[in-house]
Amino acid sequence: MSTKMPVNLTINGETFNVEVEPRWLLSDVIRHQVGLIGTHVGCEQGVCGACTVLIDGKPERSCLIFAVQAQGHQITTVEGLTQNKPDLTPLQQAFQNHHALQCGYCTPGMLLTATALLETEPHPNEHRIREALSGNVCRCTGYQFIVDAILEVAGDSKEASR
Amino acid sequence: MTEQAMRPQFMGARVKRVEDPRLLTGQARFLDDIDVPGMLEVAFVRSPYPAARIMGIDTKAAKAAPGVRAVIAFEDCPVVLWQKDAYEVGQPVLAHGEVRYVGEPVVAIVAENRYVAEDAAELVTVHYEPLEPVLDMYRSIAENPRRVHENASNVFFYKKYTTKGFDEAFPAAAHHLQETFRTTRQTAVTLEPRGTAAMPDPASGRMTVYASTQSPHRIRGDLAELLGWPENQIRVIVPEVGGGFGMKANTYPEDVVVVWAAHQLRKPVKWVSDRTESLLTDVHARDDIHEVEVAFEDDGRIIAIKDHLMADGGAYPAYPFSGAVGETSLASRVLPGPYQIPYIETEIHCTYSNKTPLGAYRGVWGPIASFVQEGIVDRVARAVGRDPAEVRRINMIRPDQFPFRNAAGMVYDPGSYGESMEEALGLIGYDTFRTRQTELRKEGIYRGIGISVFVEPTAMASSEAGSVGYESVFIRVEPTGKVTAAFGLGPTGQGHETTMAQLIADQVGVNVEDVVILHGDTDSAPFGGGTGGSRSGPIGGGAALVAGREMRQRLVKLAAHLLEAAEEDIELGNGQAWVAGVPDRAMTIQQLAEIAYTHVKRIPAGMPIGLELVARYQPERSVSFSNGTHVAEVDVDIRTGMVQVLNYVVVNDCGRLINPLIVEGQIYGGVAQGIGSAFLESLRYDEDGQLTTTSLMDYLLPEATDVPRMMTKHLVTPSAGEGGIKGMGEGSLIGAPAALVNAVSDALEPFGVMVNRLPVTAEDIRQWILA
Repeated sequence: MSTKMPVNLTINGETFNVEVEPRWLLSDVIRHQVGLIGTHVGCEQGVCGACTVLIDGKPERSCLIFAVQAQGHQITTVEGLTQNKPDLTPLQQAFQNHHALQCGYCTPGMLLTATALLETEPHPNEHRIREALSGNVCRCTGYQFIVDAILEVAGDSKEASR
Repeated sequence: MTEQAMRPQFMGARVKRVEDPRLLTGQARFLDDIDVPGMLEVAFVRSPYPAARIMGIDTKAAKAAPGVRAVIAFEDCPVVLWQKDAYEVGQPVLAHGEVRYVGEPVVAIVAENRYVAEDAAELVTVHYEPLEPVLDMYRSIAENPRRVHENASNVFFYKKYTTKGFDEAFPAAAHHLQETFRTTRQTAVTLEPRGTAAMPDPASGRMTVYASTQSPHRIRGDLAELLGWPENQIRVIVPEVGGGFGMKANTYPEDVVVVWAAHQLRKPVKWVSDRTESLLTDVHARDDIHEVEVAFEDDGRIIAIKDHLMADGGAYPAYPFSGAVGETSLASRVLPGPYQIPYIETEIHCTYSNKTPLGAYRGVWGPIASFVQEGIVDRVARAVGRDPAEVRRINMIRPDQFPFRNAAGMVYDPGSYGESMEEALGLIGYDTFRTRQTELRKEGIYRGIGISVFVEPTAMASSEAGSVGYESVFIRVEPTGKVTAAFGLGPTGQGHETTMAQLIADQVGVNVEDVVILHGDTDSAPFGGGTGGSRSGPIGGGAALVAGREMRQRLVKLAAHLLEAAEEDIELGNGQAWVAGVPDRAMTIQQLAEIAYTHVKRIPAGMPIGLELVARYQPERSVSFSNGTHVAEVDVDIRTGMVQVLNYVVVNDCGRLINPLIVEGQIYGGVAQGIGSAFLESLRYDEDGQLTTTSLMDYLLPEATDVPRMMTKHLVTPSAGEGGIKGMGEGSLIGAPAALVNAVSDALEPFGVMVNRLPVTAEDIRQWILA
């Protein structure tokens, strides 16, 4: 059970050589072996979306993947968004401006899902944004201010959204 | 000038939160992010039975498993919650002789990591002899099929109240109707699960407890009492908390076991709940039955309400307060809501069952009481053939009636009941709605509007959370002129680091970014009641104002002395003190602070050295009522039973606002939870007493596509308390379910449907339509 194997993970452009048990979840390895605690675990059932990371640019649940499966892929976590710069990204800044977070537990997953959306579809309307977010549960905000924050970055006018 | 900041710059402003950058960049530390070398992790063996005798526990294989450091049963850790208090029964932190709900902790495994602990948990064999579970409230009242606790009645709380004159008024009314309203079990589902970590401090010998809690001082006191330790030997630190909603206001069995294990093993120990454990063992909530009879007149005036309230408290009273008592007793006192219904009779039964203990979830008592009250009004309207808004107008408490004593003896301070409803109806376009509704029905579209006018008791002197009626602030102007203030609050996302800084900055005359708010560490914070019962804004905020004002007086006194001016001529603002009308005669707060700490010979006689003080605030009123109106517009698809929320309006009055951005966030979040309560969320037990909703695929939460764009408007009827602030954390979830399901009733009026349950599902709707 506890036989470990080496794995190379590419996270936020850096390579991490870690020894993992084959059964360890990517979410656990990112958090506890690599020490990137911004990836949160909310259900380990693939429903809540808190553990969302980008794998080769696509949002994926890191609780549904074993760390050994992630070798050879580009992983982006919330820590990778700012790319070691002190300033918030425009999306993060919009989240703050619009009060798009309360407890903040779902926030990293929300940011990564929204980042992937805006990458593939730079000007989504409110309907598209809500669809894209529908795999990320937020228990605090009622989503409205999250949608507003993403709309701001999408450059969508207020008229289109209301 | 010195009494209070006359031109608040920050209170009432849409100030961006100071908490956000760390949360947005993944730097914030939640409970599971607490990690130190050598930290052990716990997994619990939990009961698979709702009721069974424990005939034996075999832990030999688990103890022998590699990586396991301890296997703990009740005999090792014989702590019983409630052992020193009012209830006849208490929950052993690990089951003792008998299990009483599925998920009850039986054995704790402490191992080098969670994977190893869970493997070892599977090696524990517990021999059970199943008993017949108690699952139904009506049967439980009659002690059927048996008692949950051999030596205690199943009815653990009973109360009856009758307004004088009820017995004459009730039968004398022209009309009567009956209904039974019900909520299933629901629960908070914080996105961050519960968790606790404990580590002995090798230097001092004290125990440091990291707790994901709303009440840092309360959990410290509970642990001290239950473990028999002096409370100054325990330091509670609350890291970032990923949501609470009342569920994290309790002290849980797991908290005690983790701290006990850390003490025994002299090692850091951590337990974090997984989602299945959360749904099984986080306190459940709601689970109410209200058997209601109403007496009313031809014009829709409601004369009297008779209500038999029942709530299923689960297997044990949650510690240190039972949610069932909160659900029922407060509901019975606020049942008339915003209406001048003169007579009420309530009878309460709270019962034990073989289900998870019942605790708090945001709006405790409120969703059901609002649903009953608004459901009554809609039924009366339909019975007398009048518009639901009109019947509300007839019954509404008028502005000239405040302070208003309701039929249950609760005194309401002024609010904007009628005004909030008229504003909300205007915003949703109610005057043209009935015409639209009629047209749409011809096309086979069943659209409805639901109105919910709510009252929200806030800032209660004694909340059921066992909280104190006051709040304390330790405030210090640092030698650099920056301000630090510590609170005993336990925020879980409400943004207190921002709102409390806004209040203090105005008083002390500094910028909001110059104020740092500390909370959640019992070593630095003065004793406080924590966060719950919508008390942090009005009571915590009130304490911030008092502390800020007292500090302001100190600064003014010092500045007057140094600037050789009268105290009443000193003004503070933007980090400066100056003589009114003579802006050149000024000093910075930093200069004043430097003198106060280091050039102390320049301090006026009688003034203490330094700039530090503790202030406390307890509102004079025992409760302050916020109010508002929710209006929901929905479509019901009669083929599928699916409900779509199209429009949603909230007009909210919580007195003076500290930060409208944060208030609106609270409202939107509460309405989304209301959509969950009304249509999605249900903890379901099967006939054997098994909880069948143990994942988020079974217990459904509202997603972004389930929640419509909402519109809010603020009305301001200040409280009599500090700053005119009222609480508002729960009102949105109190008001929303009633608005939503009443809209369904309105949409399905052609089918004679009146919704009487929360949640109402597509299946329910289909059955009603087919019937």
